[in-house]
Amino acid sequence: MNFAFPSLAEPQHFSLAEKLLFSTLALASVLLFWRRFGVVLGKILHSKKDPGFHLAPILPRIRDFVWEVALQAKVIRQRPAAGLAHAFVFWAFCAFVLVTLNHCAAVFGLGFLSPDGYLGRAYFLFAALFALACAVGILGLFVRRFFLRPKWLGEKLSWESGFIALLIFALMATYLAAFFTADASPSTRALWWLHTLALFVFLPILPYTKHLHLVLSPFTVFFSRGGFSRIPPLVGDEDFGLVAGDSLTQIVSLQAYSCVECGRCTEHCPANNTSKLLNPKQVVLGLRDYLNDLGPASTEPLLGKYNAQQAVFECTTCGACEFQCPVGIEHLPILIGLRRGAVNTGTWEDDHGGQLFLNLERGSNALGISPSERDKFIQRQQLPIFDGTQEYCLWLGCMGSYDPKGREIVADLARVMRHLGITFGVLRKEKCTGDPARRLGNDLVFQQLAEANLEAMAKNKVKKIVAICPHCVRTIQEDWKEFGAPPIIEHHSEFLARHLHQLQPAQNQEKIVFHDPCYLGRYRNIYDEPRAVASLAGTIVEAPRSHERSFCCGAGGGLAFLGEESGERIGQVRAAELAATGAEIVGTACPFCNSMFRDAFAADSAAPQLLDIAQIAARALPVREPGNGGV
Amino acid sequence: MKIVVAIKQVPDRDEPVRIDSAGKWIDESDLQFAMNEPDAHALEEALLLKEKSGDDGSEVIVLSAGPERVATTLREALAKGADRALHILADDLASRDALGVAQLLAAAIRPENPDLVLTGLQSEDLGMGQTGVILAELLGLPHSTLILHVDKIASGIEVKRELEEGWYQTIQLPTPAVLTIQSGGNKLRYATLMGIKRAKNKELRAIAAAGLVSTAPPTVVLEKLSLPQRKKSTQMLEGTPKQAAAALVEKLRTEARAL
Repeated sequence: MNFAFPSLAEPQHFSLAEKLLFSTLALASVLLFWRRFGVVLGKILHSKKDPGFHLAPILPRIRDFVWEVALQAKVIRQRPAAGLAHAFVFWAFCAFVLVTLNHCAAVFGLGFLSPDGYLGRAYFLFAALFALACAVGILGLFVRRFFLRPKWLGEKLSWESGFIALLIFALMATYLAAFFTADASPSTRALWWLHTLALFVFLPILPYTKHLHLVLSPFTVFFSRGGFSRIPPLVGDEDFGLVAGDSLTQIVSLQAYSCVECGRCTEHCPANNTSKLLNPKQVVLGLRDYLNDLGPASTEPLLGKYNAQQAVFECTTCGACEFQCPVGIEHLPILIGLRRGAVNTGTWEDDHGGQLFLNLERGSNALGISPSERDKFIQRQQLPIFDGTQEYCLWLGCMGSYDPKGREIVADLARVMRHLGITFGVLRKEKCTGDPARRLGNDLVFQQLAEANLEAMAKNKVKKIVAICPHCVRTIQEDWKEFGAPPIIEHHSEFLARHLHQLQPAQNQEKIVFHDPCYLGRYRNIYDEPRAVASLAGTIVEAPRSHERSFCCGAGGGLAFLGEESGERIGQVRAAELAATGAEIVGTACPFCNSMFRDAFAADSAAPQLLDIAQIAARALPVREPGNGGV
Repeated sequence: MKIVVAIKQVPDRDEPVRIDSAGKWIDESDLQFAMNEPDAHALEEALLLKEKSGDDGSEVIVLSAGPERVATTLREALAKGADRALHILADDLASRDALGVAQLLAAAIRPENPDLVLTGLQSEDLGMGQTGVILAELLGLPHSTLILHVDKIASGIEVKRELEEGWYQTIQLPTPAVLTIQSGGNKLRYATLMGIKRAKNKELRAIAAAGLVSTAPPTVVLEKLSLPQRKKSTQMLEGTPKQAAAALVEKLRTEARAL
């Protein structure tokens, strides 16, 4: 028996009536599409130009585009089953570009792919494979949405999504079925017309629904700000962040219209997971509603009817949302932008927040403690003062200067550095890096702190910094750039990992779970180094949420200073998750995480031991050097 | 309502203070300066009064005497919401006594004819608590001290004064009047970027001290400055935690008077 690959059947000619009908439908479909898409495009293009946006360097943009759009890597990696199903639909659409163009051209006898030709036949079969995968994929997604119903897709069933799924399935089924009919058969013609109808209904639905992401998100990914939580500069005397419609930039508007409402951002949001008001998906959709109702020229405040101020100020800036988003939405510049709008114009009123800003305006640190306390700590620890001759400037930060546990971490890091024979010194005076002001949207205080610190660094000829706080590291390295060139800085996990071969593993090996700090992991992409150091204490076990999916401790975004949270405490939820691994030690690499877990474990006598990686490294040192009394 | 707020710039409280070589004043090199805290509260009260009045004609004028650097504190006040600023340029503030300073302030205030003059009850550096009271005398206006809160009423103003031991006094005054404001009556507002940008376009007028008024030679002269001697007086409270806690509460109440 001879086996032949089935071949696509096509109607051979079309009557004048059919040609007219086809043309009318095509025109109607495109016009309906444009009627809505033109409006959306207008809102995006009439938004404010993005200050500080550069297309160059182009290579990272192409790399991200290939990785996130063409290969669908982010979609698949973070939700493998649904992601793969989606990828099949996407790839089938790509493969169908030629098929569809040929389909339309064939009506007028202009078809360029023929099932009779070698190339056409091969291509149709190639597309058929994708069509098959797509049909299975869309069925899977349909079952997931309507029967498994993950809560991130929203409480209400989206019938429009069901209809779209049906159309996609019809497009694929009509194409595949034509492999089993003959050219002249009436069913071939019927299938052809059904395919055409499905196509012309599908197209105009896109811009009216979240399926607009099909058209927009490739652009959103390509034109993203890049980096992580990249906060755009404020330009001119009237730019205070995201205040009203007229301050929405083209990137923000494009992102608002690109949201596919998948809810990954909300699924991973620590505030949303602890019964708070913030729902990052709704923040983006709120902006979209605002644009739909009022447009990009409106002076109506962005916070109010469409987004609640309270929600925006519940964000810990952990970045789980931005990391997860498959369509390139950058939530942090949006959330921080909205905070900037409220704080820079003085509309945000909060007792704790106001006190924090006053402490940073007049004092030197976020904790509101006299700097003489820092001087005393430096004296007690006999920390050398940086004079330009030492290799490293050891940056203490607010926590390392004033918090009892932060001081222990600094003291232990100093012991390790001394043991390693590496010279270092601390600055006589330090001001807060401005991290809490930056994340809460106080550009005035942030700029003052960044400039004062940059000046002090230049005066002291600081070249290389090591710091125990990932928030300091991020702010110095990335955020200060707006006001000058910061010195090279690394987190102590990177420093310690490099010197690991000179450190001794603990004699009594224990089980240790390492908590990835947001500002070290997602912000800086450092996951292995702190684990390498932590493994000095024993065997690493992983929490259910770890690495880039790590769950915040609740302190970031200035929230450590804003008093009691509503709902559950994020720090307690995370601490319980870490303790449930059965580890004897919880390892941290951020003094803020450490303080949150310290509080969470305080009432629990069976809680695991809480150690920073610097303390783990120092535990293995031979003897205590002199001058390491109390901290 | 037209309100003048007299503000002093003082060394930032986080700054380590060193005594200068002559031993008569502090070494001002490398020092950072900030708005005297009670004056910041006076400004806050003035801004609240203006906001509450809802009257577009209301005006808050900030006034300070001192060298060039004082302008930064006046700018800060403009950023927080004051409408314009007067800067009495004087490099010799340390050698003037409270009367000398009050004479300068009074001379600058007189032509403004304000309804209300507010100032902090004392400065964080010298802490004499005299300037505001002398100012009232020089202007020939009624005054009240230690004010936490001011309300506008038909006949003038009603003020809440802080007395000892947690007692308060509410009194009414006619306007114009001079009030010295106590810290803590209101939460201070933070400076905003918008405030700073808007402040750029607000008027800051400098007046030379010499041309303003001829002041009498100081009647109070600073002879010598010295740093306080440190004295530790740690007490260990014995007994069970319960007894120790009770003893601590007692001491906080009777000795420290913190409760």
